[in-house]
Amino acid sequence: MPHDHDDIFEADNATRADRGPVDHPTMLSSCARAATAEEALYRVQYPNSATRTTRIFALDQAAAEAMYAITDDLWDNAHFLTVLGNGKITADTNSYNVPISHPDGTPANLDAELAGADVVVLLATNGSSEAAAEVIARECFDRKIMCAGLALKRGPSSESMDRVVNSMRRFTRVLVVAQDDDYIPAMLTALRA
Amino acid sequence: MLRKEINELLTETDAGKPMGDMFRQYWIPALLASELPEDDCPPTRVKLLGERLIAFRDSKGRYGLMDEFCAHRGVSLWFGRNEEDGLRCPYHGWKYDYTGQCIEVPSEPEESGFCAKIKLKGYPLIKVGDVLWTHMGEKEDRPPAPIWEFATVPPEQTYSSKRWQECNWLQAMEGGIDSSHVSFLHSGGLKTDPLFRGAKGNTYNENDKKPVFEVVESDGGLHIGARRNAEEGHYYWRVTPWIMPSFTMVPPRGDHPMHGHFWIPIDDHNCWAWSFDYHPTRALSPTERQAMEDGYGVHNQYVPGTFRPLQNKDNDYLMDREAQKRGDSYSGIWGIAMQDASLQESMGPIVDRTKENLVSTDNGIIMARHRLRKAVVALRDKGVQPPGRTPEHQLVRSAARVLPPEEPFGDAMKDDLTARPGVKQTSV
Repeated sequence: MPHDHDDIFEADNATRADRGPVDHPTMLSSCARAATAEEALYRVQYPNSATRTTRIFALDQAAAEAMYAITDDLWDNAHFLTVLGNGKITADTNSYNVPISHPDGTPANLDAELAGADVVVLLATNGSSEAAAEVIARECFDRKIMCAGLALKRGPSSESMDRVVNSMRRFTRVLVVAQDDDYIPAMLTALRA
Repeated sequence: MLRKEINELLTETDAGKPMGDMFRQYWIPALLASELPEDDCPPTRVKLLGERLIAFRDSKGRYGLMDEFCAHRGVSLWFGRNEEDGLRCPYHGWKYDYTGQCIEVPSEPEESGFCAKIKLKGYPLIKVGDVLWTHMGEKEDRPPAPIWEFATVPPEQTYSSKRWQECNWLQAMEGGIDSSHVSFLHSGGLKTDPLFRGAKGNTYNENDKKPVFEVVESDGGLHIGARRNAEEGHYYWRVTPWIMPSFTMVPPRGDHPMHGHFWIPIDDHNCWAWSFDYHPTRALSPTERQAMEDGYGVHNQYVPGTFRPLQNKDNDYLMDREAQKRGDSYSGIWGIAMQDASLQESMGPIVDRTKENLVSTDNGIIMARHRLRKAVVALRDKGVQPPGRTPEHQLVRSAARVLPPEEPFGDAMKDDLTARPGVKQTSV
């Protein structure tokens, strides 16, 4: 309920009184007023998260090219992988039969890459990769791994983008439609990849 | 996580700072029109983008916004006399017109023309809706007057308020595009708040606590869609538009008025949180208007005579642990606005984003920062004007709708997300 202006200070005092003497704020740092720049200096400084394991899958050739532009940057524990031969993958394809490779062309194994992963990011520029998206996302779902989709816009056609979005919508908990490839490093950096 | 230098780039808005220059490309809300209610009324002090200014309304109804301090000896013109088409410093009688031009220096010979050489920095101040807007950039860069729908519907259909928020503008604004906090922080309000309760869409919110998010870039900023399960495999979509740099709208509920916000920097450690409610096709009812004045919905109560919220950091926001325990209020703080503000202020004046741990559902925030950074750099390095200044970018609405699973909200809701005079909002 809205607070009565006239009773506000009484109400405040009553609230404080209920806390008892131990909890009564007597110092700046023990009440909400501590949200100052000076008090911020006393925040505990320590690394508050462990290194994350991120797996990025380019689902088509154009997505792979966009991804390759950043694979040489400094990343914590991110693996960049390309799905090969989309046409051979169906929704029923087993995880160990999904053809993927590292940026240097060496083959990789989906099960091994997903083991211990914290987050998976699917990159796509067209709708040709729905089956691959489904297989990878299904594996993520089974392993309780967060799966995000990033659709990279190519040209003004909204029809092709709809295909990309629809190909990933059913399988990702978060879907981003970006106009520029430079969102890939922005997103991965923000996620501490 | 955001690197320190980018955090500074986006949060510092004084004159000469890149983000400060970017805010100066827009018409921004400066005052409620009710703060200058009549010709020759008392002037009002206002601080915007790190500049201390004085606003007044002269004898002919012209609005002025200029440097707060007299060019003579630095006296605050808040003490001034607003009379006969100008604001006169009470110390030695220097007088300024609504543009900041000095028009009288009593101690100098009238014929000397001395006063023509004195001019306070002044900015245009125009009334659109119940808000006074200013453009603090160069005249040649001035965009068309704002045409946001909340400010252009008839007066009986709209209500605006503003409150002082004691933190940087960016962390406040990020709360407006952070759809995933609603299921927690504001969960109590859907059942009780008179400006939210009773909508069918609320049941979808309550039944599906794990929405799926889609973030789509738009020409003016972003559309952030939150998708929940509805009947028979359909999806309930709630779509929030964000227009650069700091305009957002909350998706509507039933026939309740629509609402949204602007976050405008006062300085790097404080901002104005502007909140508005409007209905596109009907007058607000007396009950709705009263609820807004009482601080329900996105509005708040005040320390009397000020724009400071009644619940503030000096009283621990009147935290109610019993209400928190009962679940009436998830955080124990009363009211949607102060539930947000209390937590955002607790982050500190400028949150240290190098320490944060964002997750995938924070992509709306990540993308907004990305768009802001690109726009700031493009303006700074190439003089490219940022998005959000033009009428076509401002004709937006939030919307809520149930759709079949195969329909992207961007296509299916394109009209719903566009402000259309005389057309009711799309809501569930």
